[in-house]
Amino acid sequence: MPPDYAIVPLARKRHIKYLRYYLELLPARMSIYDSIRVSIAFFAISGLDVLNAIDTLDESKKKNICDWLYSLQVLPNGSGDCSSCGFQGSCTLVAPDLNYQEHISEYACGHLAMTYTALACLIILGDDLNRVDRTAVMMGVKSLQEQDGSFRSTKAGSENDMRFVYCASCICFMLKDWSGMDVDKTIDYIVKSMSYDFGFGQGPYLESHGGSTFCAVASLNLMGKLHDTFNSKQLAGLKRWAIMRQESGFQGRPNKEVDTCYSFWVGSTLKMLDMLKAVNFEENRNFVMSTQDAVVGGFAKFINTVPDPLHTYLGLSGLSLMGEEGLLSIHPALNITERAYSHLQSIHETWSDPAS
Amino acid sequence: MEGSSSEEGEDVNWTFYRDREEWADLKPVPQDDGPHPVVAIAYSEKFRDVFDYFRGVLKVHELSERALDLTRDAVELNPGNYTVWQYRRQILKHLDKDLKEEMAFVAEMISAFPKNYQVWHHRQVLVSWLNDASDELQLTAKMLALDAKNYHAWQHRQWAIRTFNLFQNELEFIEKLLNDDIRNNSAWNQRYFVINQTTEFAPEVIEKEIAYVLSKIKIATKNESSWNYLRGIVLHSESGLRKPSVIDFCDELYNSGNRSACLLSYLVDAALEQAEYGVVKENSLLSIDKALELCDNLANEFDVCRRGYWNYISGCLRVHMN
Repeated sequence: MPPDYAIVPLARKRHIKYLRYYLELLPARMSIYDSIRVSIAFFAISGLDVLNAIDTLDESKKKNICDWLYSLQVLPNGSGDCSSCGFQGSCTLVAPDLNYQEHISEYACGHLAMTYTALACLIILGDDLNRVDRTAVMMGVKSLQEQDGSFRSTKAGSENDMRFVYCASCICFMLKDWSGMDVDKTIDYIVKSMSYDFGFGQGPYLESHGGSTFCAVASLNLMGKLHDTFNSKQLAGLKRWAIMRQESGFQGRPNKEVDTCYSFWVGSTLKMLDMLKAVNFEENRNFVMSTQDAVVGGFAKFINTVPDPLHTYLGLSGLSLMGEEGLLSIHPALNITERAYSHLQSIHETWSDPAS
Repeated sequence: MEGSSSEEGEDVNWTFYRDREEWADLKPVPQDDGPHPVVAIAYSEKFRDVFDYFRGVLKVHELSERALDLTRDAVELNPGNYTVWQYRRQILKHLDKDLKEEMAFVAEMISAFPKNYQVWHHRQVLVSWLNDASDELQLTAKMLALDAKNYHAWQHRQWAIRTFNLFQNELEFIEKLLNDDIRNNSAWNQRYFVINQTTEFAPEVIEKEIAYVLSKIKIATKNESSWNYLRGIVLHSESGLRKPSVIDFCDELYNSGNRSACLLSYLVDAALEQAEYGVVKENSLLSIDKALELCDNLANEFDVCRRGYWNYISGCLRVHMN
């Protein structure tokens, strides 16, 4: 008989251990994550925060992590060009020898997902963002917006889609400065990406997807435009599309298998649409807990598969949305805890004017 | 966990760059992880060696044949490293390389890493440079044969079709996929994309598409993908969800005893639409009372997982009760 996941407890201590391990030294097989180390750090740090365990990192550790993140910030070059500014995701192009080369700024560039997750980590760790060159980051963001309103991730060659619309929106919101975005154009892109089933694809004509739907809805939420962009019929259709993704846990698209990460992507979308009340929390918990590794810690995509940091974090944040005891509550659009969001608000209070 | 890290060590023919005579002139540049590295990776010796030399060529901005080979080793070790891909493109341009060869290489990489963003982006850049998308339908078809819902493959395919106007045989391709798997939501989406971009939703197209999708719904009445497609098509018709031919179809299905949640929820939404926008053709299935009953059936029997949602929809219906 399969175990009754309804009574399985959250293996809190194991998850803390698992996430702390990811902050340290990873084995060689993890080299495929080498370009996105900051996002792994985010999953671990924000995961610890959701577990109400951020203080298991002592002050010096927190400071060291902040220093490391700042070491990845790309500052304006000699000519004042900010198109490479933002945060890099790893140290691949960090070496004293490389610093003085003019052409390096074509390659050592900020990346929107890394800038967003770096800022999130700094906020969670209690940093005051004083060392962020806000103006430069905004100019970097601005340079990545495409004609159609979407964003690409980096100057150094990248696709453009809804993921980076979301990252850009988070960065603007966190830095309390929307000068890096033509908001109307961005909204136009989001509207055009709404599909015939009222979910959102990564771009116009593309299939609706739980991840891109989250990105679209959260971006509008951060802009304060969610409720005036769509008519009531569209909003009702969107709510319907999202709630239909629950099977036990959540799937990302119709007729696909349920996967731990969509408990957050779709759960959070429903929360922003004020529809979390329609979700069956028990069924979701049963599924998510079936993907928990109670021995090593962490959550996996599916049952009987190996946990990874992304699914661990999104599993936890999804459970938090749905009222799991002992977890801090989540700001659904920023995907950080409400505790961290309060800290961000207190930082904002110290900024009299936007950076621009 | 330990087992897989030895894979690279098994490559007995591998010579480190530091041991290659033809690279003796280039100074490798080690990565600086700082005093307190975070999410550090215990790179294999091979990984470290390749990327030390990558930083080396980047430092002196060497755009050469050997640097091109080096970037190949680097992306094979980490296909997600977008900087290496970007540098590789720089070299390809600078050396004015035969891009057909590169197309073959990236096709191999796509086969090996079908869900990696960078390999597909590289492909798109190459196709744009060549201004030739003649292989793209075949490549994406091959990838979709392995995973019919691979989002990257569909995205690339749509881009190629739109950019190079390759709509001609697309409906046939979709037809084949839907015959293989009637629940393939990506294929339904592609069908909508093609219609939307070619014939658009002229009245006769709407009729044809409705007939098509109803024939598919008959085969699998619980298939959300086909119902969603139907809903998408009737959006373009003046009577919307209340379109009489569709309601007649639902009526027949319902009266045959079918209680698919998709059918019931279609009827509920059609009833709601009728309450808001008026009657197109009388049918007792679209009364508010009936819709409330259907919500109840859904909440308690046919879609229990979503009980909360159906109770919410009941509330929306009750607004129209007087």
